[in-house]
Amino acid sequence: MKEYELFIGPQHPGVTGNMMYHLWVDGDTVTKAECNVGYLHRGFEKLMESRNWMQNVPLVCRICVPEPDVNEMAYAMAVEQLMDWEIPERAKYIRVVILELARIAAYLMSIGSYAGSLGIYTLPQWALGDRDYFLDIFEQLTGARVYHIYIWPGGVRWDMPEKLPGLIEKTLSYTEKRLKLYDDVLFKNRIFFDRAVGIGKIPKGKAIEWGVTGPNLRACGYGYDIRKLEPYAVYDDMDFEVIKYPELGDFDVLSDGCDAYTRMIVRRLEIEQSISIVRQALEKMPEGEHIIKHPNWLKWKVPPGYAFKRVESSKGEYGYFVVSDGSNKPVRIHVRGPSYTHGVNVAETILKGANMADVSQILFSLDVCPPDIER
Amino acid sequence: MKAIEIIGKGEEMHGRAYIPSGREEAGTIIKKLKENGFAHFVMLSCVDWIDKNEFELVYHMWSYEHKEHAMISVRLPRDNPSMFSMHELFPQIETYEREIHEMYGIDFEGNSRLTPFLLEGWHDTPPMRKDFDSKKFAEDVFDSIPEIKEEEDEGI
Repeated sequence: MKEYELFIGPQHPGVTGNMMYHLWVDGDTVTKAECNVGYLHRGFEKLMESRNWMQNVPLVCRICVPEPDVNEMAYAMAVEQLMDWEIPERAKYIRVVILELARIAAYLMSIGSYAGSLGIYTLPQWALGDRDYFLDIFEQLTGARVYHIYIWPGGVRWDMPEKLPGLIEKTLSYTEKRLKLYDDVLFKNRIFFDRAVGIGKIPKGKAIEWGVTGPNLRACGYGYDIRKLEPYAVYDDMDFEVIKYPELGDFDVLSDGCDAYTRMIVRRLEIEQSISIVRQALEKMPEGEHIIKHPNWLKWKVPPGYAFKRVESSKGEYGYFVVSDGSNKPVRIHVRGPSYTHGVNVAETILKGANMADVSQILFSLDVCPPDIER
Repeated sequence: MKAIEIIGKGEEMHGRAYIPSGREEAGTIIKKLKENGFAHFVMLSCVDWIDKNEFELVYHMWSYEHKEHAMISVRLPRDNPSMFSMHELFPQIETYEREIHEMYGIDFEGNSRLTPFLLEGWHDTPPMRKDFDSKKFAEDVFDSIPEIKEEEDEGI
């Protein structure tokens, strides 16, 4: 068979956003893949060096579109560490609530797009529709649907409205009911079993060395979750078990892990885990202040030093490396996005030998998000 | 075993080990840490200390076993900076080196894939360097757009 080249993206529904993969194909088998990014590069890291510490808050959330709050959290924690601030207890609980709600919203988007890549077009409509109920909660809590600019260094921007826990509980119970339908359409569907089992395998022994993190790593059988390894906010007060292969609850273990099937089942189970964490956080939330008093933002100087903070996002590990020289602007902010490894080196390696029709589902099962590669 | 004990130098910084290293010994330090449980390479950062006329490369590593983070810092002169590539230890370092080569102009010996990563057709100063003036660049490139003059509103 003659070898030919194929470009998928940046405008292609089978690619996870504005990025491109250059494939070399023999028949319908991929022989080589190269990731090509740069379509979304907005130069945030450079821009942040010329803005003061507070002006950077509305920038960081734009680094991940489906789940912006993890960026705000990591940035806020890094600045709080440099300032040596202890934030109010209530703010920590509110942060857990919004982080977990954002996590569910991101998972809904990821599951919906994955189902679309298999040709099951019912689920993208349902999942994105249900995601909107979470965006309604964000709108009431933060005033914005997508970029919340809510977690600030020192606490959270607004206190939680009195009636919001009622709406959150209503949305969570609705989501639980809907998940059963999702199972019928995707997770217990014959198409999913036939298409996803054994596809896009990451070698288990290489997963950590390749920098695989988050649900993709847990699907390989490693029970590593930053919420447990380095608990931030009040995650040490929350009762939850890390979900990993082969403990897949009600779902069948159909492969020896590390494949698209297991990765998606782990994501599905983590929605229920997040629902439980939100309920616990709402129940345990104490009364009190939600933010500390800030210095004058224009004159606010942060003591010199290095800070590194990381959080668990729906896609994997987010890390913020913040360097200050004692002035009112950072010297350097470097963001570690989970897709930086998943989307470039890992995808380029595991796409080799894949069938052309599986390329899209492999990329969606890794949950690659180009904005965090390019920043 | 703690990273500082394994290497025999460094300081503790907010619960994370900060290990200054020379250019030549960095490879040995990273290899030694990898063999001693620091199996996860988190990221490679670069900081431009223009006042001191040097670049600082920070290799972040994490040990799932000891739950410890180590930062290995290597300082390079800003004139003709070059470093050894570490992509054989962790494959994803290749991408970080590509980006740093493009954004700061640091050469990585042994990395055969220092091709453009995010930028396209860039021949100016590497843009993340502190001496690259983004404002001037934006004015030079975008100020040529003709201003749209609104016609006076004559009313109804």
